[in-house]
Amino acid sequence: MAEKTLSPRRVLAELTYDAPSIKRGYAGQTLYVNLSDNTIAARPVTNLMKEKFIGGRGFDLYLLWHGVDDDTRWDDPENEIVISSGPCGGTTQYPGAGKSIAAAISPLTGVPIDSNAGGHFGPYLKFAGWDAIEVQGKAEQEVIVFVDAPAGRITIEEVPADAPTDTHVLGKWILEHYAESESDRQQMSFVSAGRGSEHSRMGCLNFSLYDRRRQDLRYKQAGRGGIGTVLRDKKVKALVVRTFPIAGNLNAPADLGLLQETGAEMHQEVHDYDPVQNRMRSRGTPYLVQIMDDYDLLPVHNFKFGTHPDTPKINGEVWEARLTQGLPDGCWYGCTVACAHAVDGYVVRSGPYKGQAVIVDGPEYETVAGVGSNCGIFEPDAILEINFYCDTYGIDTISFGTAMAFAMECYEAGILDEAKTGGLELTFGSADDAIEVLHQMARGDEFGRIFGMGIRGMQDYFVEHYGADAQFVRDIGMQAKGLEYSEYMTKESLAQQGGYGLTNKGPQHDEAWLIFMDMVNNELPTFEDKAEALHYFPMWRTWFGLCGFCKLPWNDVVHPKNKLSPEPQKIMHHVENYQKIYEGVTGTAVTLDDIITMSERVYNFQRVFNIRLGYGLRQHDAIPYRSAGPVTAEEYESRAERYDDQLREWLGLDPAQMSLEEKMAAHRQYRTERYQKLIDAVYARRGWSNDGVPTLEKLRQLGMDLPEVVAVVEKHL
Amino acid sequence: MKVLAFYPDRCVGCHICEEVCSQTWFKVTDRDKSRIRIQEHDDGSISALYCVQKGDCIDVCPVNALTRNKQGVVLLREKQCVGCLSCVGFCPYLAMIYHPDQSQPFKCVACGNCVDECPAGALEIVEVETPSAPGPQA
Amino acid sequence: MIRVNNRDEVDWREGLTVSVLLDRLGYTYPHIVVTVDGQVVYEEEYDRRVIPDGANVRLIHLIAGG
Ligand code: SF4
Ligand code: SF4
Ligand code: SF4
Repeated sequence: MAEKTLSPRRVLAELTYDAPSIKRGYAGQTLYVNLSDNTIAARPVTNLMKEKFIGGRGFDLYLLWHGVDDDTRWDDPENEIVISSGPCGGTTQYPGAGKSIAAAISPLTGVPIDSNAGGHFGPYLKFAGWDAIEVQGKAEQEVIVFVDAPAGRITIEEVPADAPTDTHVLGKWILEHYAESESDRQQMSFVSAGRGSEHSRMGCLNFSLYDRRRQDLRYKQAGRGGIGTVLRDKKVKALVVRTFPIAGNLNAPADLGLLQETGAEMHQEVHDYDPVQNRMRSRGTPYLVQIMDDYDLLPVHNFKFGTHPDTPKINGEVWEARLTQGLPDGCWYGCTVACAHAVDGYVVRSGPYKGQAVIVDGPEYETVAGVGSNCGIFEPDAILEINFYCDTYGIDTISFGTAMAFAMECYEAGILDEAKTGGLELTFGSADDAIEVLHQMARGDEFGRIFGMGIRGMQDYFVEHYGADAQFVRDIGMQAKGLEYSEYMTKESLAQQGGYGLTNKGPQHDEAWLIFMDMVNNELPTFEDKAEALHYFPMWRTWFGLCGFCKLPWNDVVHPKNKLSPEPQKIMHHVENYQKIYEGVTGTAVTLDDIITMSERVYNFQRVFNIRLGYGLRQHDAIPYRSAGPVTAEEYESRAERYDDQLREWLGLDPAQMSLEEKMAAHRQYRTERYQKLIDAVYARRGWSNDGVPTLEKLRQLGMDLPEVVAVVEKHL
Repeated sequence: MKVLAFYPDRCVGCHICEEVCSQTWFKVTDRDKSRIRIQEHDDGSISALYCVQKGDCIDVCPVNALTRNKQGVVLLREKQCVGCLSCVGFCPYLAMIYHPDQSQPFKCVACGNCVDECPAGALEIVEVETPSAPGPQA
Repeated sequence: MIRVNNRDEVDWREGLTVSVLLDRLGYTYPHIVVTVDGQVVYEEEYDRRVIPDGANVRLIHLIAGG
C-alpha cells in the first residue's frame, strides 16, 4: 500500500535537518526554498529580525524585501510567498493564538499584501523547526514542498500533472499520499489554492486543519490580495508540513504558569459572557449581518445602500440554524471564542462537484455580506454554494463579492450586456449567473477571465473595450490600490474612509474599524481625534499579526468591568492579557507603548516597501467616491432627508433652493475635501511627509533608519 | 456513575485529603497538585472543589482528550491533550485544575484514596444517576 | 430634550427609560456602554432607569468589526 500511494512523488531536491528545540516562541531559523533552481536552505533568524520585526507579518515583510528587486512584479520568479506565525503563534492556552500570516507582492495591487489565516500551518511549521517559510522561483512541473520534521527532511517533489488542484479534493489526495496514520493526519497541515487562482488575480490560500472531532479536513483562508494566484503561478500544488505530536508546551514558553493563569481566566470569561454578547460560539461572525443592517451599514447593491428588507433571510439566526452546533470550532487549539463554524453535509448544486456532500467552512460575515447582500443575493444556499466554490477553487470571497457587485452594477447601467457576458444576466440577485462566473474563472474562459482581473482590471477593460464612462466606473468600483473593499459601508464615517484608504495593503478592515466610534458614538469629533484613532488602532492591530494572534478574542467578548474603563474601546483588560501572553512566551515584558512602537517599525517599513516598488504615496491613498458619498441620484434620493439635513448643517445651504445635481455636487466637493484634510491630519500623526513618506526623523526615532530603508526614503524627501 | 461525595458538616479542615491526593498522583505533598481543594470561608463554613463527573468539559475539548469510562468517570488522556485549558474555563465547578509543572490539567477521577484517609468520614464514593454540585450527592 | 453622544438632540418624555431610548434609536447591538450624566447603567437596570430631562446620555457601542 505504502509503495503504491507514494510512487507518484518524485524528489527534485532534498535537505536533511535536525529540528532545533524551540526557545521562547522562536525556532531560530527560517526556511528558504527556490523552485527555479531547486535549492533548499536554512537561514538564521538574526537579532535584528527579532528586535525590529518580531515575527509573523514582520518576518514576512523583512524576508520579502530582501528577496525582491525594486521592479519585481507579482509574476516574476523573484516574487516570494512568505508565511510565518510569530512568537506567540502556537500557544494553546489563550484563545486565538495560532494565526499564520502570509505575504507576497500582490497581483492586484503590485505592492506587498499581508493576509492572515487560521488553520494549523504556521504553528506546525514552527514546531517543525522553522519560524517562516520563504518560497521563491517558479517550478517547471507541478510540485509539492514537503517539510517533514519527524523524518528530518525537506523535499521539493514533483507530483503528477493530473493530481487535483482544487483544495477539497487535493486535501484528500494529500492525506492519501502523505499521511499513513491518524496521528499523521493530526500532525499535518498544508497550504493550497485551486484552479480559480490560476486564472484570476484574486486567488486565496487555504490553510488546512485536521478537525479531530469531524475526522475531516477543514480550511481557513488567507483571502486577500491574490497570494493564491502567486502560489499557482509558481506551480505549487501545496506546501505541506508534518510536525511532532501536538502538546501544550511545544512553543517552549518562558513562563507556562503565566499563560495558564491568563488563559484559564479568559476561557471562563468567554464561557460566562459570550452567550449574552455576540454569541460567537453559536453564530460566529455572521452575527454582524443584522447589526450592520440595523445601523444602515450593510453593503447592499455594490455599496449603494446600507440596508435591505430581505436581510433577515441571511442574518445570524439563519446561520445559527444551518451551522453545526456544539463542536469546539476554533481555528487553532484552545480558541474558545470558536467562531470557525461550518455547515456539514452541504450538497453542491452546480459545477464539477455537483451532488457531492461537502463541509462548507463558514460562511463568515464578510462572505455573507459580500456575495450576499452586496450582490443582492439573499438565499442562504446560493451563498453557501459560492462560499464552497470560492474556497475550493482558491478565490477570495471578499474580492469576488465586491467585484461581482461592481459587475452587476455595470450590467444594470448598460456597460455590460448579455452579449458581453456570454449570455449571463448579471443583475443584482442573479445567483446562478454569479455562480457560473465562478466556474468560468476555474476554467479560465469566457467572462470569468475578464472578471478575474479584479475591479481595477475590469475598469480599464470596460473603458477601453466597451466605451464605459471612466469617471463613473472609477466612482462605483470599490477598490483602492487595486484591492477590493471588504464589506462595510463608510459613507457616513470619515474615519473609516481613512481606515480603508490609509492602509498599506489596500482596503481591508483589519487595520482599523472605526465606524461606530466615529459615526454612532461620536467619539472622534475632530480631525485630530480621527487621526489619533488612525494611528493607535492600526498600530495596535498590526501587533496581532507580528505575534500570531487573532484579533477577535480581543473585542468580541468583553468582561463587564470594562464598562468602567476610561477608554472602553481599547478593552484594556484584554490588552493586559496580551501583554502577559507575550511576556509568558518570550520572557520579555512589554508596555502598551512598546507594543505600539513594535508595530510602528514594521508598519513604516511596509510603507517604505510600497514606495520602493513605485507606490505608497499620497496619490495612492485615494478612495472611490462611492465610499465617501452618493454617486448616483438613486442613492441620494434613497437617503434624501439625511443628505438634505447635512447640507443645511454642514454647509449652511438651503436644499429647497437647489436642484438634485447641485445638491450632489455640493456633497461631493465637501466630502472629497474633508478626506484630504483627514489625510493631512493622519500623515502628521504618523510622522509622514505631506506626500505620505515616513520622515527620516520618524524612522530614526523608531530605530528603523536601516540603510536600505533610508536609501528609498531619501529619494522622496 | 461513580462520584466523590463531600459532607461539609463533618469536615474538620485537616487537608489530609489534599495531601493524599497529590501523593497518589504526583508523588509529592503539595496542595497545589491536589485534585480536591478544601476551602475554608470567612464565615466559618467549609466547601470542597472537585469533579463530580458532570462532563461539560467533554464537549469543549477540541481533540477528544476527555472521555467517560464505563463507571461514568471522566478521564483525561494526557497524550492527546494539547493543554488548551478550555475544559478549565468551561467547568461549572472549577474542578479542572492546572499547574505550571505540566501543560495538561488534571481532575478527580473518584479513585477514593482520600476517602480512606479522611479522619472525619467527610468523604465517600457513591453511585448516582445524575451528579449534583460538589457536596453531599443526593 | 436630552443629548445623546454629545451630538444628537432627542425628545424627552416623562418616564423615558434606557430601554425605551435604545429602542427609539434602533440601537440593537448587544454590547453598549450606557452612561447617564456620567454614571454607568448596567443591563439589568435598562428597564428601570429613568432618564431625566436635559440629561447627557452616552451610548458607546463596543464594536470593532471583523
Ligand atoms: S476567534 Fe475565530 S478566527 Fe479567531 S482564533 Fe478563534 S476561531 Fe479562529
Ligand atoms: S481529609 Fe476529610 S476532614 Fe480533612 S479536609 Fe479532607 S475532607 Fe475534610
Ligand atoms: S486542556 Fe486538554 S483535556 Fe482540556 S480541553 Fe484542552 S486538550 Fe482537552
